Amino acid sequence: MGFLIAVATIPGLIIGILCGFVPLGIGLRYQQLKWGIVGLALCGLAGFSFGLIGGFIMLVLTTAVVISYAFVDREDPFTSRASIEAVNFEESQLEFLMRQMAALGRTIRQSVRALIRNKAGFLGFIGILFFVGISVFGPLFIEYDGDTHVERLQPGARTLFQKPSSEFILGLDWKGRDIFSHMVHGGQNLIITSIEAGLIATLVAVVVGAMAAMIGGVVDQILSAIANFILTIPQFPLLLVLASILSFSNRFYLAFLFAALSWPALMRAVRAQVLSLRERDYVQAAVALDLGLPHIIIREVLPNLMSYIVVNMIFSIRSAMYYIVGLVFLGLVPLEEPDWGVMIYVGRQQGAIFNSDGASMILSPVVAIALFQLSLILFTRSLEEVFNPRLRSGL
Amino acid sequence: MGAIPFRRTDQPVSQPSLWSLSKRLLRAVYRSYIFRVTVQGILTLWVVTTCTFYMIRKMPNNPIEVKIDEFQTKQNLTYEEARSKVAGLFDYDPDAPFIEQYTDYMGNLVQGDLGRSITTGRTPVSQQIAKYLPWTLFAVGLGLLISFVIGMIAGAAMAYWRGTVFDNVMTAFASISYGIPDFVIAFMILLIGGIQLELFQVGDYIGSVDPEIKAGFNPEYIRSLLQHVLLPVTTYVLASVGGWMLTMKSSTISTLGEDYITVAHARGLSQRRILFGYVGRNAMLPLMTRLAISVGFVLSGSIIIEYIFIYPGLGKYLFEMTGKRDYTTIQGIFLVTSAAVVISNILADLLYGVLDPRVRVGSK
Repeated sequence: MGFLIAVATIPGLIIGILCGFVPLGIGLRYQQLKWGIVGLALCGLAGFSFGLIGGFIMLVLTTAVVISYAFVDREDPFTSRASIEAVNFEESQLEFLMRQMAALGRTIRQSVRALIRNKAGFLGFIGILFFVGISVFGPLFIEYDGDTHVERLQPGARTLFQKPSSEFILGLDWKGRDIFSHMVHGGQNLIITSIEAGLIATLVAVVVGAMAAMIGGVVDQILSAIANFILTIPQFPLLLVLASILSFSNRFYLAFLFAALSWPALMRAVRAQVLSLRERDYVQAAVALDLGLPHIIIREVLPNLMSYIVVNMIFSIRSAMYYIVGLVFLGLVPLEEPDWGVMIYVGRQQGAIFNSDGASMILSPVVAIALFQLSLILFTRSLEEVFNPRLRSGL
Repeated sequence: MGAIPFRRTDQPVSQPSLWSLSKRLLRAVYRSYIFRVTVQGILTLWVVTTCTFYMIRKMPNNPIEVKIDEFQTKQNLTYEEARSKVAGLFDYDPDAPFIEQYTDYMGNLVQGDLGRSITTGRTPVSQQIAKYLPWTLFAVGLGLLISFVIGMIAGAAMAYWRGTVFDNVMTAFASISYGIPDFVIAFMILLIGGIQLELFQVGDYIGSVDPEIKAGFNPEYIRSLLQHVLLPVTTYVLASVGGWMLTMKSSTISTLGEDYITVAHARGLSQRRILFGYVGRNAMLPLMTRLAISVGFVLSGSIIIEYIFIYPGLGKYLFEMTGKRDYTTIQGIFLVTSAAVVISNILADLLYGVLDPRVRVGSK
């Protein structure tokens, strides 16, 4: 597997709860018990589902939120506690860190509010949570049904396919296995690989695009030429040929391959954006103050690009999922059960298309993929609001 | 012609010689947009060809091995028997040095010859492409055309009546259409429409045409042609119309806010003239470029959709040939599709200059 793990594990739960003690402790210290307990719960959940990485990220986020409540907000201007904005030149390293955490926490709270405010976006968010939750926690409750069940053959039926019934709510597949268990166990791989692919592609595109625009000259010309070249070759056929060259023992390579082919479109857009941002007054001011390239890119240019980048990352995840399912469906990737794509492939091979009893075997993963992608698209609307600095400052 | 008094022999001639003229001409040609773009395009295609040439030959197994495998399993031959049988079938030598194969291929390519297919009885690749290309062009082209027209009209209407129930319903539909991948729509049509609800007999609608009907310009043949193209086209339209609608809507909304629209209203022009002459034409501008670019990707079609509906287009053919490792055919299809993309990109640029007078003025 790649760098993301999403399996509910007991060690993960323990790590998560341990992480959760940090926001809880800080919450107790600053009399914010309510948010400390929320932090503990969220950390436990994140650690339970995503292991160390999830637990740690959630630790930072929830701690920031708790600290931000300990600082003064616009809503509560008369408390004696220090303000986030107030810069004190004699503050210690710790105080500086606290202030930064508080600022981060405030941003997170505003983002959550923006997320909930957009109805369609929130619906998408819930949809994504639903599918991730099912993939992560489903296996705890539903056992994977991987054996052939000849005994489930209905009298008078020629195949083991079965329509949805009260016992098997999504019916049985060609080997008489429970489709519902396949749905629960089969989404994880696909979702994680797509997310990885989208993340890598976006990262490459942003880094290369920003580099090309900021450095300029020959580097810019070469990078742009490479991007234009990759854009010329039709993607899916190319992926088809490449997929048969590299036989993927590991899905992570597939994510990598997708990223290698799909970065140019976003890279060109990022390059154009950075080129235009570079001429803005505030960036010129930062250049004149000699604040250094990292500062200019991270503090001045990137925040203005963030909403664009994040939205494109979601689109990238979406098309990664499309391509991966497409490759599996054409039988070019080693088949690993359980997997939604493999269900479509095998279902078609076993004639589920022409068998009205077997339609569930193809329809279930197809509908799940459609709903997941729809959730992603809806979610982008919230993300636009969350990451657009102009919309956010109005809060 | 007498002697010219003040001319020194070691100085170049003051009047333009052939050399300096041709140099100036060359510079003018080099500066011209079309020339530069054409050279760039040819260069791109050369790199594409070279890269795919290398990649395709790096695929595990070669056409001989695949065929030997097939004979071994199908006719129960030993490896040696199968090998001798296959050797007679193909005129492809997998042991020839890579460079030699490459120079041979490029030599033929420069003369406009795409080579001969390895696995299908030495038919020329160009002939094979010409056989499958029209199917893809027909299906995807029709789908693109229909979805573009519907998207234009619906998008403009959505922008005009924005905020109404009509707009909300259509935007929701467009988001769904945009969000759902095309193969999902294909399966839904087949499984729900064809199998569960039994609206139509699936067998009558997939594949190419009825083999019993003679090809030609007769009503039955055309009817059968349209019948079999119906499902792929419906899928393409449903999958892509949403994107067109949303783009057209946002483009129209931004056009409606332009000053010249307000001026047109102030001048008392009729609503119809403003809508068609001022808003519509300007809102369509950015979409025309996108259309030209999508036309380039028509050729590569949609492998998955053609595969689901067993439609005999270029995409499905490419997939089959990839399985058989027919090097020359894969190569040819890649070249043709990339060329289509390159050409359509150039056309998109030129088209924009023609359609938008502002670009023309600005470049001079």
